[in-house]
Amino acid sequence: MTSPLGMSPSPPSADQRKEDVALLRILVVAGEGGGASGLLQNLRQWADDGRLELDSAPDLPRAVRQLAAGRWDVIVAVLGEHPDDDLTWWLDTLRGVGGNPRLIAVAQAPSMGLVLRAEKSGVLDVLSLPLRRDELMRALERVRSAATETAVPLPAVEPQAVGPYALVGQSPAMLDVYKLLARVAGSTATVLVQGESGTGKEVVARAIHLNGPKATGHFVAVNCAAIPENLLESELFGHEKGSFTGAVTRKIGRFEQAAGGTLFLDEIADMSLALQAKILRAVQEREIERVGGGETIPVDVRLIAATNRDLKEAIKQARFREDLYYRLAVVTIQLPRLAERGDDLLLLTAYFVRQFAERYNKRIKGISDRALELLRGHAWVGNVRELRNVIERSVIVAGDDTLRAEHLPEELRGEEAALTDRPQGGLLTLAELEARHIARVLGHTNGQIGAAAEILGIHRNTLTRKMKEYGL
Amino acid sequence: MTGPAPVRVEKALGLLPELEALEPLRALLVSIARPDERTLWSSSGPYLTLGKRGVHPDELRRRLPQAFHRIAEHVQALYRAYVEALESQQRADAAGAVSALLRGGRLEEDLRRFTQARAWYDVALRVAEGLQDRRPEVESLRALGYVCLALGQYADGARHFQRSLALAEAEFDQVGATGACEGLGDAALAQGQWPGAQAWYNRGLRLADAAGDAARAGRLERQLGVLARKQGDLAAAGDFLRRARERFESDGVAVEMARVLSEQGRLDAQLGRHDPASAAYREALAWSQRGERDAGLELSIRVNLAELDLGTGRLLEAEAELRRAEQVAIGGNVMHRLVQVYTLMGQLRGAQGDETGFVFFEQAIELAKALDRSLATEARVYHAYGLFRGQLGQNDEARAYLERARELFDSLGEAAARERVEAELRAISA
Repeated sequence: MTSPLGMSPSPPSADQRKEDVALLRILVVAGEGGGASGLLQNLRQWADDGRLELDSAPDLPRAVRQLAAGRWDVIVAVLGEHPDDDLTWWLDTLRGVGGNPRLIAVAQAPSMGLVLRAEKSGVLDVLSLPLRRDELMRALERVRSAATETAVPLPAVEPQAVGPYALVGQSPAMLDVYKLLARVAGSTATVLVQGESGTGKEVVARAIHLNGPKATGHFVAVNCAAIPENLLESELFGHEKGSFTGAVTRKIGRFEQAAGGTLFLDEIADMSLALQAKILRAVQEREIERVGGGETIPVDVRLIAATNRDLKEAIKQARFREDLYYRLAVVTIQLPRLAERGDDLLLLTAYFVRQFAERYNKRIKGISDRALELLRGHAWVGNVRELRNVIERSVIVAGDDTLRAEHLPEELRGEEAALTDRPQGGLLTLAELEARHIARVLGHTNGQIGAAAEILGIHRNTLTRKMKEYGL
Repeated sequence: MTGPAPVRVEKALGLLPELEALEPLRALLVSIARPDERTLWSSSGPYLTLGKRGVHPDELRRRLPQAFHRIAEHVQALYRAYVEALESQQRADAAGAVSALLRGGRLEEDLRRFTQARAWYDVALRVAEGLQDRRPEVESLRALGYVCLALGQYADGARHFQRSLALAEAEFDQVGATGACEGLGDAALAQGQWPGAQAWYNRGLRLADAAGDAARAGRLERQLGVLARKQGDLAAAGDFLRRARERFESDGVAVEMARVLSEQGRLDAQLGRHDPASAAYREALAWSQRGERDAGLELSIRVNLAELDLGTGRLLEAEAELRRAEQVAIGGNVMHRLVQVYTLMGQLRGAQGDETGFVFFEQAIELAKALDRSLATEARVYHAYGLFRGQLGQNDEARAYLERARELFDSLGEAAARERVEAELRAISA
């Protein structure tokens, strides 16, 4: 390629190269004492070469004021004597800050536990004191590289409206669901919808109702697991005034409310055996009695039940009545996990981005390749519900017409951070790998050591020792 | 291979007799309760309350030694306080005895054992009454005044502060008099007697300024700011808070800075300045982190932040903040404050038109009765519950809950709150 004057372009000068590098605004938060002294001085020396604009704050409260007053790209925070607590406060503080600045935590000899927690929380990096220039610059380079994301237009989606919800997806697994749904909707047969949490069981139940013979009646949903056990019976069957403490008025239960329509019993496995017996009677006899009332009331409802549990296993453990199971599972629809739905992820993402962009008055037309990659790489244990939640949170913080990786929640960005920029060419030491796996299993068991030890196949004392060793 | 499922807190508490000796066990059980991981993304996840959290008996067993240790530490500290009181008595140092007895009461107060604290303060007062130096009596009366306020016995509290003030003035004890004025202001504020509270705080402020007591003057100015805001004089509220902040910031008193900023946030919110309000709350949180951990304060700020988000329709943020507040209440052993958290959760669901939100009010009522044991708190929950039912068009239930709230406010003599409920009842009937 030649210039208009027919001369080869000269290589960019050092000054030009510097100009091409994006300027980063950095807030350094470090007190005077300890290993942090001299840090600011060093940073000021490095700032000129690295196209960095620096400011400082002596502590978290003063930093909060500065964060509210301007936009920052990166916060370099020196953690104190209690680095875990300090990190928690920093993460909490940055949640409410505009512009999504990235956090670099600096600590005196950070433990592996701290590093893992920081990674999981989307912290850009954890560096140790004394701070090394190359480590800091490498972390900052990752912030700059975010600017190179390419926008991908959102695909067109044809959602099947289901009341306030929609069925979205064209994967073979979902096509099978649609076919079964179409076959069962026309009848009044009781349906059991099974699938992991967040796979859309209520949407399917609504679709059956809306396409069935009772579509003109009400669709009444009851979440059996959400309601305290002592209130569930009166919620379902109603009660007479004064029948128990708190029965301040006569109450019409959900069975009666759903008369002529559909009653959707979600998370049915969470019901006590006593209540299961009453449900069985209502299904068999098609009549109920209000709590504290002697009158038998006929009910004409279509029943759809749903669960994320294995009911057959619950029957084996005598936690679920077998007769009720066969009454409910006249037709069973099994919903696939999001991970089994292939490109539906992209369609659902597009659908939710548009939905929330409209709700929050944003003009988002695309998603960056990197954000998409992060979405594709996530495990989605909460399936579509988790995706919806992630997209909603991301749309709220997005400022331009593209949803970028920086808009995604910290947990997703953390997954990326865990894999990049490792000094030894991306390879982990055995200890690091072990620590990461233990941390992952502990996360899975919500920190329950007994359960984690069982999964890992080691004694709980061994696990406790390793947790101490790795600072988990 | 994940072992037996955890036991739900609602069931676990059902097995625990209502005995005072078991209170630490109850607190431990609740503090280790965690959400069942299976509910995290389930459709019941958003409705998760304390009762639906799970507890592993083996974890409880493992933590028992820690609980025993804490109980033993507390009992030891109480016994030591008594022995020190006894030694002081032996040395004919009755003032020392009062001081030791007051320390015993404070130890009990720290654990919200207000009735027990009152017993210590009663003994301290009896000893102090026999002294020529009246300052120990002034101090005992002030301690008694505050414990009465904590027990909701406002008139008794005010009577103790009044006596404390009379004694302090007679003895030219300026510090004691300032403290008594502050207490009288707090008692009046708790009863909604705003002009009275204002008069006491102003008198206390003059005394504190004269004595050069910057910390107490700052606190009194914050309280005057609270009052001015409640009375709608927002400019005056801003001035009081600015001055309080200046006093504390120069001394770097973290906890007081957090309190002033939290109040500043409420003022900004009332002025419709949402961004400054949010910034003030965030800074308040940052200050609260610098001082000694005060879970109650942190929780208050988070609840304020959630209320701000709720008021501006940022429901997702409000919910996230309330969940953090819930965690602070559980982890920080201030479980009685969950009543406030769950009431707001219920209001949030009401704003979404979500009927299942009633579970939060039910849990709040249960906790108000079991843990908070304050009729005022219970009344506020019924009030919010009534509004929630009304929002969903369930007028019969709304009326029943509002009538219950009116009855409770009536019994407490909270005229302003009663009037608000009355107006809502009239609106429903119309």
